[in-house]
Amino acid sequence: MINDPLSVITIVPLAVGLALLIMPKILSSAEGLARASRAISMGVSLAMLAITTMIFLGEIGSIDWTDYGSGYSLTNDSILLIPSIGVSWTVGIDALSFPMVWLTTLLIPVSMLVEWDAKKGHLFHPLILIMEGALIGVFVSLDMFVFYVFWELTLVPMFFLIMVWGGDDRRYASMKFFIYTFTASVVMLIGILVMYLYTPDVAGSGTITGHTFDLGVMVSSASSIPSEGLRHLVWIMLLIGFATKMPSVPVHTWLPDAHVQAPTAGSMLLAGVMLKMGAYGFLRIAVTALPESTMVFIPLLIFLGMVSLVYGAWVCMGQTNLKRMVAYSSVSHMGLIFLGIATMQPLGIAGALFMMFAHGIISPLLFAVAGAFKHHYHTLEIGSMRGIAHHSPWMAGHMMLGWMASLGLPLLAGFVAEVTVLIAFWMSFGWLVMLPALTLIITAVYYLTSMQRTIFESNDPHQGILPDSLHGEDPSDITWHENAGMLILGALTVLFGILPFIFWDMMSDWSSGFMIDVLVQAMESEGVNP
Amino acid sequence: MTSLGQLNLDSETAFTLLPELVMLVGVLAIILIPNLGNATFRMPLTNFRVPILIGGSRFETTNDPRMPNRITTATFAIAFVSSLLMIDSTSEEVGGLLRSDAFSRLFSAMFIGALLLVSIATTHRIPAKRNARVPADGDSEAVTSRKMAALIDNRRQVDFHILLIMVGLGMSLMAMSTNLFMLVLCIELASLSTYILVAFHKEEDVGGEAGAKYFIVGSVASAVGIYGMSLLYIWSGDLSLDALAEKWGEMQGIDPFAAFGIGLMMVAFGFKVSAAPFHLAAPDAYSGASSPISGLLATASKAMGFVALIRVLVMITIPDFGEESYWFLMLAVVSVVTMSWGNLAALTSENPKRMLAYSSVAHAGYMLAAISVVGSGLAGEEGTRIILIAITFHLAVLVLFKLGAFLVLSLLETEGSGHRMQDLHGLGKREPLIAGSMFVFMLSLAGVPPLSGFLSKLLMVNGIVSSSAGTGSPSTTSVYSWIETVDPVFFLAAAIVANSALSLFYYLRLSLVMFFEESEKPSRLKSAPSLRMAIIACAVLTVMCGIGPASEWLVGLVTTSIDSLLG
Repeated sequence: MINDPLSVITIVPLAVGLALLIMPKILSSAEGLARASRAISMGVSLAMLAITTMIFLGEIGSIDWTDYGSGYSLTNDSILLIPSIGVSWTVGIDALSFPMVWLTTLLIPVSMLVEWDAKKGHLFHPLILIMEGALIGVFVSLDMFVFYVFWELTLVPMFFLIMVWGGDDRRYASMKFFIYTFTASVVMLIGILVMYLYTPDVAGSGTITGHTFDLGVMVSSASSIPSEGLRHLVWIMLLIGFATKMPSVPVHTWLPDAHVQAPTAGSMLLAGVMLKMGAYGFLRIAVTALPESTMVFIPLLIFLGMVSLVYGAWVCMGQTNLKRMVAYSSVSHMGLIFLGIATMQPLGIAGALFMMFAHGIISPLLFAVAGAFKHHYHTLEIGSMRGIAHHSPWMAGHMMLGWMASLGLPLLAGFVAEVTVLIAFWMSFGWLVMLPALTLIITAVYYLTSMQRTIFESNDPHQGILPDSLHGEDPSDITWHENAGMLILGALTVLFGILPFIFWDMMSDWSSGFMIDVLVQAMESEGVNP
Repeated sequence: MTSLGQLNLDSETAFTLLPELVMLVGVLAIILIPNLGNATFRMPLTNFRVPILIGGSRFETTNDPRMPNRITTATFAIAFVSSLLMIDSTSEEVGGLLRSDAFSRLFSAMFIGALLLVSIATTHRIPAKRNARVPADGDSEAVTSRKMAALIDNRRQVDFHILLIMVGLGMSLMAMSTNLFMLVLCIELASLSTYILVAFHKEEDVGGEAGAKYFIVGSVASAVGIYGMSLLYIWSGDLSLDALAEKWGEMQGIDPFAAFGIGLMMVAFGFKVSAAPFHLAAPDAYSGASSPISGLLATASKAMGFVALIRVLVMITIPDFGEESYWFLMLAVVSVVTMSWGNLAALTSENPKRMLAYSSVAHAGYMLAAISVVGSGLAGEEGTRIILIAITFHLAVLVLFKLGAFLVLSLLETEGSGHRMQDLHGLGKREPLIAGSMFVFMLSLAGVPPLSGFLSKLLMVNGIVSSSAGTGSPSTTSVYSWIETVDPVFFLAAAIVANSALSLFYYLRLSLVMFFEESEKPSRLKSAPSLRMAIIACAVLTVMCGIGPASEWLVGLVTTSIDSLLG
């Protein structure tokens, strides 16, 4: 067990979460379990965080993250799951997946903390625990079948989180969320199956199809798909799956609905980790397996990234709903990830990776604040409330920090990511960089105007304007557990802004290695001078 | 050619036909046991009375109206286990008409397993009450009718269960048939029993109408099929499947007799699998019948149709792989129409049974698409094997989650509801475990991993993609030009994907109302312990057969059986 920490951090949350959900229903003697389930969930998630942190510190597996080569660490001995079609339980991490795994294990306890007093907590916290197992499973599994299983499995707890604890329009939002992402994933599945089909025929392996779902084999054999047209088609099918998850314009419309209706913890995980699944899968599978197609479709990537970036930011300016605005800003930031990948520079890809990580800390902070706003002011309308700095100073402080980080203020985590992507973009595409760079101004505009309208502006410096939804009551400041969660995220935002190299080193190592292994070769065959 | 009538009733044959003999004994037992009583025969001229057991006043155990159900359940349990154990045994010919091999035994296990679940559900769906009383004079009208209904239900336990075993016998023998005549005969044995079972609640309007409609359409379809069979007989002079396949292989071009014969038989089998446009009776039949019987139609009866299609289409008409068969295009079109029609119609259904009926039409479409790929000539021997494995696996796991969903509706029907979407409202609060199982069934029907419905759909799409993706020209450099060169079969996979997305709407809708609507009746459902256990067992197996050792075991069984079919 100690040799295989990744299987542990995947399976333990799933098993404990399921047990906490089911046991009280089956055994009447397990009533106590329902009461303790919140504490148990928190304990398990903290243990998982401890394990991943120890992996980072080299206590487990003694990996030197400051000088990370290629290949996977902490791999296990494959356990055959469905030998007849070549499915096995294989896990491993590298510098691409590890920051995401650590981020997941961090955000789960934080989001539990923020919603510590959630209604039906005996169901809420176990569901989040199941979510943790599914998310980690996506990042660590090295078998495409298992990857896909976890990929879809994340939908189920999130569906219930939105559906049970969501806002008024939750039914529409959760259905839309499920159907959008499921449909896109099935398209992706066809792409995966075509790749599966061209894995080398393993004679005598006992499979009925003669192929394997092993990620490494599938990725390395994708270039042997005979027709270039088919390779492009596979790439596009994969892109549809991943871009919908990310999400990129024009398949982004599920995101604002899901975010607005989701409970705070749901939004935090959705923005923090689930969106990153798309970028992770895109890099891990589509770009790695089919680098030549990626080269061919760089204009498409730039187009999608640029449209997402500009459109997302532009739409933000017109939003009056706080969560909707933050959701569109996520769309906008995800556009930067596409641009970073499209540069085909180590710097740009590392910037995209850091964007995944930084956005994974900042956007949960933003959603935690928005959730707290909803919780204490019973509204999400930006204009309905003015001068919350007077009533809720802590909330105002976190809100400021989050928005500043999101618009890319130097010394905060978002800045590092944005600036590296933009530099790489300039190196690759020259003055085209003006478009994304100017979009940052739009971002600043919408954040600053809402900041001015909600936090500060007030006719009466002592009263502010209270929304009607409070019915004349006095608003309260955030509770201790909300505050604690936000403080952790805020502190990390600052920490990774000042000391980005904590994760930056491994990310840039990975992208350089990735460039050398995969992309240079592809560029040469496409006639581009790297 | 083996001549008929060489049946030797020795112990070896008896062992080969063990599940069928067990069912035969079961039928006899149901007829005999409830009639056992204390009747005696007085020896003439003496006072000595010899008990003859038949007649008189019945013993307490034999008088128990629950007896037929218990006998049936026990019969199916024994027959199920024995078929399952026989999957690995070698192929045995019986009398030149039947062959017991892994393929037929897998299917008989599937049929009998489904019937076992139906029989368990019937215990609570058509309950027998020991304390049923004749209505007294002073009873109100409602009480009188309730008492009468209980008496009638007691009275017809035997009828129902005999028919159930007859269905099992017909289906099981049908899976073993190596002769087309025997095959059609056994299908008719099973079908006639199901017609009556559908109409079993004939005192209700819907039951009578459903049965009549199903019977009329079904018998017309059968008649067409038998006409097709007679054309085949004129063409070949022999109805043994091997002889037909051999004759087909020798045929130059396409003989119209043979082509029409096969085509007409496809009408009969298409009705059985409820393929469009022969599916129109299915939703009425499903919604009119009691839920266990609807589940039987959606799983075992459908599997029976697919066995027939595999036997006739795959085993006769394509003896050497690699050529496009004449029915390919027709079947491909039918499959796409079937899946789209089923899903679109299911979207608007307000009756959960109708919705599941249309979803079962859609699933037939997916499987027909896979079969049509076999006929496209692209599949090759290996591809055919994989596609048949996929279809058989799908049929097997369908018994778990499709029938499981109908079992949940059966549980609802015990309180008289289950015909409206509203009846499912609030099930999550009333019965969390049952609602959870239903949710698993819905997700599995939609093909969400890691459930078994996903694995089976993946195997089918894999079969289609692996047969067709290689046909695109290898020299194309753009997506568009590749799509132009690829064989259109590839787009059957796209049709399945599009339909899967469409189907999510109604599967999710049904799941949603269970958890997020308030119930009209907040009380818990009837206790029905065995039915609950069956539902939960189905749900657990649905999960387990999706990934891990159980799925590997099932895939292994299916592979063995398909290998025995293909020789």
